[in-house]
Amino acid sequence: MSTEPAVAKDAVLKRSEALAENTPQVSGYDFNDGLNYSKLFESYVNTGFQATNLGLAIREINRMLDCRDQPLEADQIDSHETDDFIRRRSKCTVFLGYTSNLVSSGLRETIRFLAEHRMIDCIVTTAGGVEEDFIKCLAPTFMGSFELSGRDLRERGINRIGNLLVPNDNYCKFEDWVMPLLDEMLEEQKSQGTIWSPSKIIHRLGNRIDDPSSIYYWAAKNEIPVFCPALTDGSLGDMMYFHSFRQPGLVVDILSDLRRLNTMAVKAVNSGMIIVGGGVIKHHICNANLMRNGADYSVFINTASEFDGSDSGARPDEAISWGKIRKDATPVKVYAEASLVFPLIVGETFAKRHHCAGKEFPRETNQV
Amino acid sequence: MAELDDHFETADSGASNTYPMQCSALRKNGFVMLKSRPCKIVEMSTSKTGKHGHAKVHMVGIDIFTNKKYEDICPSTHNMDVPNVKREDLQLISISDDSFLTLMNENGDLREDLKVPEGELGEQLRSDFDSGKDLLCTVLKACDEECVIAIKNNTALDK
Repeated sequence: MSTEPAVAKDAVLKRSEALAENTPQVSGYDFNDGLNYSKLFESYVNTGFQATNLGLAIREINRMLDCRDQPLEADQIDSHETDDFIRRRSKCTVFLGYTSNLVSSGLRETIRFLAEHRMIDCIVTTAGGVEEDFIKCLAPTFMGSFELSGRDLRERGINRIGNLLVPNDNYCKFEDWVMPLLDEMLEEQKSQGTIWSPSKIIHRLGNRIDDPSSIYYWAAKNEIPVFCPALTDGSLGDMMYFHSFRQPGLVVDILSDLRRLNTMAVKAVNSGMIIVGGGVIKHHICNANLMRNGADYSVFINTASEFDGSDSGARPDEAISWGKIRKDATPVKVYAEASLVFPLIVGETFAKRHHCAGKEFPRETNQV
Repeated sequence: MAELDDHFETADSGASNTYPMQCSALRKNGFVMLKSRPCKIVEMSTSKTGKHGHAKVHMVGIDIFTNKKYEDICPSTHNMDVPNVKREDLQLISISDDSFLTLMNENGDLREDLKVPEGELGEQLRSDFDSGKDLLCTVLKACDEECVIAIKNNTALDK
């Protein structure tokens, strides 16, 4: 009987080093235990891949909210702040960022829930993230399909956002609604010297839409500032462009908004970032948190990759290098499409707490 | 009420200075009122209904009297005012010491209420007249304003 070559034996049967004693074992949900979604999502942490990241994101946000639930100490009460929107309200200032497509989608209702119950302290979004919400108060967005022909849709005056459809007529209604408001803002700028910034414009529009299905109706009502440094990059910008011919003179000041946003970050006792999507919304929130040596709690949800060097695709670790997230934080990036996972995350965090209000809610402990 | 209206309109011949026209019906080289000034349309582009809302017409116009540039964007279904522009070539007879022109129309009627235009055109007019040329002055009238906007040699007299 011949023996196997020693070199092959060594290569195949290389002895393992022991893993640390507390290393969790992979284990998924057992449906024999019945259908319990909370237990299912708890099991995600040890399921692996993006299920683990989703589970960790839920934990991270719950830690953020535990911190936010704590009242301010007497010396932390922000009594000198004259701007009600940026006044420090709790031990953790929560920044929520999301892109335009999410407002076009049904995530609008999830975001509105957060604004309605004042569960977040600050919103950063893009122009579409603002106008699509208002437009939905005027006319609905419809289900379509990713496969519809662009040429054919153009002929029919219908715009496509992924598998959603927005008729041109919706934008005409938006124009009819917003133009007189732009007139009004210009008039106030001229007569009262009002300096309009994107957040002030969104506040005004939120007040005027007067519709509880709107994110910005609630943001205005609950004094949650909505920042949108790229406010002109969308239909709203188109309106401002046309308006500048008929009634020239409206000035939009982005710097005073930067001041408000950064001030919120600087004065936060702790800060949390929930950033759904990439681009300006992601960087704007991270950059504000740089001003306070980094956020304490961070969750990124997006599908972007880091190999192109974009900020959109950058993992939280890159933000740590810039000082946008604290060194000792436990940030989570979920590589997932937001419409799929954001409602689940909100369900296991904000919504669970909301619906368990008064009842004893199991607090997260700080281990992974 | 009708009497009152009539009373106010007697200042002019009774014809209105402008008339409305749907924006989409305007054409390049036509006239339009931009920022309350009578203008000739030198550029025009339309954007169809879209994300920016209703279909729009973008216009660049040059003030027919001052040559100043005006721009406007109007929904294509809205009405714009179009000035009634009257154009007439009159023969230059003389220039008074206080720069008023004596002009004669085809019927031999004289008028002495228009001044030498300002700028280059005015200088050209004076030097051509002083050198004995027979001149025809093109007079444009719109919105109660009237002025010489061009001159040319009166070739009719040569024959």
